Amino acid sequence: MSLTQSVVLSCAGIGSRLGLAQTKALVQIMGKSIIGWQMEIFAEVEDLRIVVGYQAMEVVREVREYRNDAIFVYNHDYFHTKTGRSYLLGGRHGNELAVAWDGDLLVHPDDARRLLSMRREYVAYTEPTSDEPIFVDVDAAGNVVSFSDKEGGYEWSGPCCVRKDRLQERGVDVYHMLEPLLPLPGVKIRAQDIDTYDDYKRAENFIRSW
Amino acid sequence: MIRFIFDLDGTVSAEETLPLIASHFRIEEEIAVLTRETIAGNIPFTDSFIKRVHILSRLPVPEVRELLAGVRLFSGVLDFLANNSENCVIATGNLDCWAQGLLNRTGIRSYTSSALVRDDRVQKITKILRKEDVVKQYKAQGDTVVFIGEGNNDMEAMRLADVSIASALVHTPANSVLSITDYLVFEEDSLCRLLNQLS
Repeated sequence: MSLTQSVVLSCAGIGSRLGLAQTKALVQIMGKSIIGWQMEIFAEVEDLRIVVGYQAMEVVREVREYRNDAIFVYNHDYFHTKTGRSYLLGGRHGNELAVAWDGDLLVHPDDARRLLSMRREYVAYTEPTSDEPIFVDVDAAGNVVSFSDKEGGYEWSGPCCVRKDRLQERGVDVYHMLEPLLPLPGVKIRAQDIDTYDDYKRAENFIRSW
Repeated sequence: MIRFIFDLDGTVSAEETLPLIASHFRIEEEIAVLTRETIAGNIPFTDSFIKRVHILSRLPVPEVRELLAGVRLFSGVLDFLANNSENCVIATGNLDCWAQGLLNRTGIRSYTSSALVRDDRVQKITKILRKEDVVKQYKAQGDTVVFIGEGNNDMEAMRLADVSIASALVHTPANSVLSITDYLVFEEDSLCRLLNQLS
């Protein structure tokens, strides 16, 4: 029998680098909020857990425009914590596999479907594109073997999927939590995260390419 | 062991009991003013409770009890209570004399406020339940406590619980609750899914 899965969508952050004083989930791209695009990707996900913090009720309202059955998880300490804490809070009481998905990461729908159909641990990565990437190295067998802020063949993008019982708080970001669990099977995807205004413009082109 | 403590109104019951009583006995306006002032934070919960009981004390207890016994309950939540009866209790600020018929339908242990009844009328409040005391009691015996609630008077209990779930099944939970809760759910299926994951 395949393992049960929860998807943890982290939408607690302030989105300060985008300079809009608005959590990124609510930023509009081509007439739709980022979380609106996400909700289409997750339409078939039964156990969707959305971690909220900054502008929590606005995010809740926007999600409910699309579905009413998500479980909202509060990260009240969103100002002092990052995605690692949100992943832990979102996954700790969920199903056997906890998928970590950043609220500001748009994944090509074909690749998203592939990831969501997997019922095993993995780490997703992309070709390097960001100005300040966290790199990953992938071995000949396709496993992610290291993270680095200096060099590597690919860029860590998320999502990732780990057994809930292997999640432990470590560092501030999700990849810090993954480091002791390496090697983990890698999956190359097409994705665009939205940290800066340039990313925002790139995201429009990315969506047009679907 | 894990201990689930449920608020009654809007969590186990699919309709709020106070507006139902108010409507049945045609005292909506009196109750609405009190509710509005309480939600606005102009009247502390204990004051509000005493005033509410004073308004309702002129109503015949058996008629209130019978009315509440017919309140619609969430069927999925009832199933969860039935399947986990050893681990579940209800904590409600309602007076035992009014809510007993309704609570009996849940089949699980309950904690309530209580009153002295004479000639079928509430004469005097003898206890106002502090839900946080119920949480403390179970934590002191080593239980991991999950509290499911939505009102201002649930906030302290939810803050002390190991896990708190804000139920928006009937209406949006109080802002004080949203400022401390671990989870927020809007549908009965989502609440039951989460409860089963925790159990």
